[in-house]
Amino acid sequence: MSLDKSVIKGFALMDMSTRGGQYVGNWRVLMPEIDEAKCIACGLCATICPEAAIAGKPKVKPKIDMRFCKGCGICANECPQKAIEMKQEAKK
Amino acid sequence: MADFDVIQGNKALAYGVKLARVEVIPTYPITPQTTIIEYLAEFVANGELDAEYIHTDGEHSCMGAAVGAALAGARVFTSTCSQGLAYMHECVAQAVNYRTPLLLGVTNRTLGWYWSLGPDYSDIMPELNLGYLVNFAESNQEVLDMTLQLYKVAEDYRVLLPTMMSLDGFYLSYSQERVWMPDQNLVDKWLPPYKAPYPVDPTINDKFPTASIPSVMHTPMRRIYEEVLQDSKKVIQEVDASFGKTFGRHYGGLIEEYKTEGAEVLLVTMGSMTTAARRAIDKLRSEGEKIGLIKLRFMRPFPDIEMREIAGKVKAIGVVDRMMLHGTRGGGAFQDVKAALYNSNVKVPLQGFVTGMGGEDIPIDDMYSMGKKVLQVAKAKRIEKEVEFIEHKLTEMGKPIEVEWAEPIYPGSDGCAGCGASIIVRHLLKVLGPNTIIINPPSCSGVNYGQAVRVPWVLANFAAAAAYETGVYRALKKKGKADKVYITSFAGDGGTADIGLQSLSGAAERGELIIWLCYDNEAYMNTGIQRSGSTPLFSVTTTTPAGKVIPGKQVRRKNLEMIMAAHRIPYIATASLSYLPDLERKIKKAVEVTKAGKGLAFLHVQQPCATGWYFPESKTVEIGKLAVQTGAWPLMEIDEGNFKLNVKPKELRPIAEYLKPQGRFRHLSEVQLEYLQKDAQIEWNALLELEKRGRFPGY
Ligand SMILES: Cc1ncc(C[n+]2csc(CCOP(=O)(O)OP(=O)(O)O)c2C)c(N)n1
Ligand code: SF4
Ligand code: SF4
Ligand code: SF4
Ligand SMILES: [Mg+2]
Repeated sequence: MSLDKSVIKGFALMDMSTRGGQYVGNWRVLMPEIDEAKCIACGLCATICPEAAIAGKPKVKPKIDMRFCKGCGICANECPQKAIEMKQEAKK
Repeated sequence: MADFDVIQGNKALAYGVKLARVEVIPTYPITPQTTIIEYLAEFVANGELDAEYIHTDGEHSCMGAAVGAALAGARVFTSTCSQGLAYMHECVAQAVNYRTPLLLGVTNRTLGWYWSLGPDYSDIMPELNLGYLVNFAESNQEVLDMTLQLYKVAEDYRVLLPTMMSLDGFYLSYSQERVWMPDQNLVDKWLPPYKAPYPVDPTINDKFPTASIPSVMHTPMRRIYEEVLQDSKKVIQEVDASFGKTFGRHYGGLIEEYKTEGAEVLLVTMGSMTTAARRAIDKLRSEGEKIGLIKLRFMRPFPDIEMREIAGKVKAIGVVDRMMLHGTRGGGAFQDVKAALYNSNVKVPLQGFVTGMGGEDIPIDDMYSMGKKVLQVAKAKRIEKEVEFIEHKLTEMGKPIEVEWAEPIYPGSDGCAGCGASIIVRHLLKVLGPNTIIINPPSCSGVNYGQAVRVPWVLANFAAAAAYETGVYRALKKKGKADKVYITSFAGDGGTADIGLQSLSGAAERGELIIWLCYDNEAYMNTGIQRSGSTPLFSVTTTTPAGKVIPGKQVRRKNLEMIMAAHRIPYIATASLSYLPDLERKIKKAVEVTKAGKGLAFLHVQQPCATGWYFPESKTVEIGKLAVQTGAWPLMEIDEGNFKLNVKPKELRPIAEYLKPQGRFRHLSEVQLEYLQKDAQIEWNALLELEKRGRFPGY
């Protein structure tokens, strides 16, 4: 009996360590923009973003990774300070 | 007279069913079959087709309902493919001895194995030898015409057997082609209503079909059924000829020959690939090659005599297969042709090809080279390699991005913008941590988030997710690891309330120490928004459209909490993505209960779905809040029998605030709206009452 992994043929695997997201930022129609002045760093937007595209937690100002933001607008809709506005993106 | 329309194969089939005035239609969605049952739902809801439409809870039930209806004497249609067909299998087999001439449409799709939405014949292959007449269509016109023909063949008392029609997923099911529509009056005359010889109806009959005969009768019965199948060949020819006379189109019975005059070499194909083969043959003929084409129109009964006759006239035959018979070295059609020739006088080299698996396209160029190959075989009079696999290189895929991210889910998934399921899976993993195993029945979340999380995410078969979970848990328990890992489902409402319920019920009753998390978007989203047992009253889905006669879903949803409470499991809770601290607390509680060895924990989390509920995606969380505050989705828990409401507004907000922003309720009449308002209040009062009592009855 061989228990040598190199003799295994045709066995497709899913690799947990190398998976990563696609750049879905190009799905976006509108772009969230945080008004630093209004933001009280409550952390809600980072908690709620479906994409996990916002880095942030309570007492830390949020930062959106635009490579992954799909522009759904949930953060803007939920921000208690109305500190996020969905804006037309300047065309690159 | 006749009129034409440019439609997809699935619509052609639905029109065929409508023209045949089918009486009972049990359904269950699966891609790429689903639009068939969506078109039919629309016909029925609008009063264009007077049929009993049955929204079943899984394919096993779906085929069960089909056989039952046919036993009672109705003309019946149902359809499925792939996993669904495999799950149906037991009832598929039963239709034969009950002599139910129903039609089962199969929009071919790979049977997992590795999953794919694309077609090959691995799904229909295990169904071929049960005693059905099995037809393979090449074009959408053929789909419609054969729907009518198959009923006429099957309902002939010389046959009285069920039939299957194969139409390739995507290549036919979702491709637009011109289709001539037969005139309804002509169809009515040509295909009169089905008259069952022995319907299960004690008011008119005292004999009925049976499933049991003495074993000594089995062998003779097998012989007789084989005779019936062979005799059906004549009926197939007759019906095709009569169809041609009436409607002006005919197909030539069990096989179709294309440019076989004077051919020295033949290619044999089936289904939609034939169209590319025709073009390749044209090209080879124009180059002076004496090559022709045989399309296998019926795989059962197999055209053995027909093949022998033709094979005797040529020097080599190539058989192109989209169906692999593992362990035999070759494809299904190849082995059947070989078997048909073996004991005959015909001795001709047979070259097998296997290609187009998992839905890969079979281009004209490939057909051309396969033709060339067979011409070579004819010249050399021998075969180098009996079966060749025609393969292509993987085109360079976009490399996944390696991201530095502390989150348990990588950003950049395939899910819709604003998908609530993503919010739930994120917070589930945030609480459970990296030593988590997720068992996932087929669903939106599997397709979109299975590849994006940092933990094992195991795709389970739809009806068996709780059993997969049980197996994983028991194995780890046996190995002394059960304390170190968290095992949870991430299951849709379809996978929980409908097709997965039996398996879940078993796990709950056995007291498996696992978590069942159902994220409920109140429909089958992955297959395109069909109703589930959790779709609320009056909601529109693609199988409960806002029809002129039947507007929306007509029955209330299942109460999953009560179902689970009947199992007396230690922890049951509803939750919402709009109340994350409450959700996280409940996940922790579920962990506690399972780790304490108390039993299965059931979490039921509502997931507003912008795509399926038709509201702007920015409102996902807002809608979730409104659901709780209007009483549409009360937050509650049953903790070892103690009932508690977790969010208790002093007064419920009007249900309209929740319903109005959602497109799925746009059609609501004032009366319906009022009904829903009353209903929400009654349910809420009952919950308040329950809370006053404190203990849940039965615990
Ligand atoms: C036996 C079987 N039948 C049908 C399907 C097709 N199918 C895949 S996902 C799905 C719908 C899932 O609905 P739900 O469980 O509510 O999850 P959602 O997609 O809504 O998140 C269906 C019908 C299948 N994979 N297997
Ligand atoms: S939700 Fe609004 S206030 Fe809170 S951190 Fe985000 S932007 Fe700032
Ligand atoms: S718009 Fe949506 S995806 Fe983009 S940061 Fe806000 S919540 Fe996240
Ligand atoms: S259809 Fe609904 S559940 Fe599926 S990914 Fe889109 S938003 Fe999520
Ligand atoms: Mg669902």
